[in-house]
Amino acid sequence: MAYTPQYGPGTSRVAEVRRNQMNPNVKLQKMRSVTDEDLVLIMGHHAPGAAYGSAHPPLAEQGEPDCPIRKLVAPTEGAKAGDRVRYIQFADSMLNAPCQPYQRSYLEMYRYRGIDPGTLSGRQIIECRERDLEQYARELIESELFDPATVGIRGATVHGHSLRLAENGMMFDAVQRCILDDDGIVKYVKDQVGNPLDRKVAVGKPMDAAWLKENTPMFHSLVGTALRDDTEYVAYVQRIHALRTKYGFMPKED
Amino acid sequence: MTEANYPQLRITPTRFLNPETTEDLLDKIFAVGGVRRMVLNGPNLPVTVPYGPARGAPNPHSYRRTIKVCGEDFELRVHVGDILLELEDESVIPAIKEACDAVFADKFPYGFGKGRFMRSNFTLSDYAKYGVVEDDRILGMSDPKSKQRPTIIQGTK
Repeated sequence: MAYTPQYGPGTSRVAEVRRNQMNPNVKLQKMRSVTDEDLVLIMGHHAPGAAYGSAHPPLAEQGEPDCPIRKLVAPTEGAKAGDRVRYIQFADSMLNAPCQPYQRSYLEMYRYRGIDPGTLSGRQIIECRERDLEQYARELIESELFDPATVGIRGATVHGHSLRLAENGMMFDAVQRCILDDDGIVKYVKDQVGNPLDRKVAVGKPMDAAWLKENTPMFHSLVGTALRDDTEYVAYVQRIHALRTKYGFMPKED
Repeated sequence: MTEANYPQLRITPTRFLNPETTEDLLDKIFAVGGVRRMVLNGPNLPVTVPYGPARGAPNPHSYRRTIKVCGEDFELRVHVGDILLELEDESVIPAIKEACDAVFADKFPYGFGKGRFMRSNFTLSDYAKYGVVEDDRILGMSDPKSKQRPTIIQGTK
């Protein structure tokens, strides 16, 4: 019998969102569009239109040693071309952002190849070859995993995920990389590390509170779904906790 | 020495306040009078980018600007989250609550608590850190050694 991954326990909507985000067979809903140039400007790794920097010659030119692993694993486009490794980092507000750092790492490991995610409490960085990065970053920004107000693209000075929102609903950002413009659209005025951009880069309208509550993978007893309301989830967490605590002695389920 | 028995208040809105709202709120609070000391708490809005490759570059931020409070210019350096107040006496508390209601009524809820939020007494640690502090009203509000001095609102007295 073929193994079918379950991705996670739970009967609540939050648990369902978590499973859907992690499952590579579920197509992420496209919510907005950003151009190639916009993407390059926000990330700030190279000038729009400039060639990708390279870390080594293309694999076809440099001659690969005879290696069974290399025969098994097909290189990604970026690795094939010898691109440099670059990053994009997201900060997710604890107030019902549509993704969350641990969840990001899980879903990226299920969905993408050749990546190195780094997970912290309020931010998550993904490193990979530049060509692949642009492809992945596009999906992360254009899809339901992004909300212009409660998710920030922040390379440095990321503080804000656990703070109250501003009056206009934007997550706190000491560097104010993005603003909610008069037309109701969030625009980046600085790249992800805080260098000013020559023009504003629009990333769409903030999602409303009802949509965020319905599409967040976070439990939150005050502004969303409480973890205790999902008894299956709690039972699973308790079981893992018990087994891990007993591990090494004689892990045995009662 | 500041007496320890002055009543203190903390106003905690559920959102960070824009400079315009802060200006409006402070104007209304000072119009009530009876405020001895006030602290605006919140995350810092640095003048330059503090970390990363752009460190040291200017950091324009629409929430860091000078506001006018009772005719005095006040440079806002934080995104205001909490407002701590020390009052002359408790009689003005209902009027301050009314001022807050007027500002927040059509915006969002806020918390309004009475308690001890600023230190009033000089401690041994203060002496070890700062030595003799001439004006002890600064205690519990800010670093007495800071070059940035508090703003004195003259009021109507």
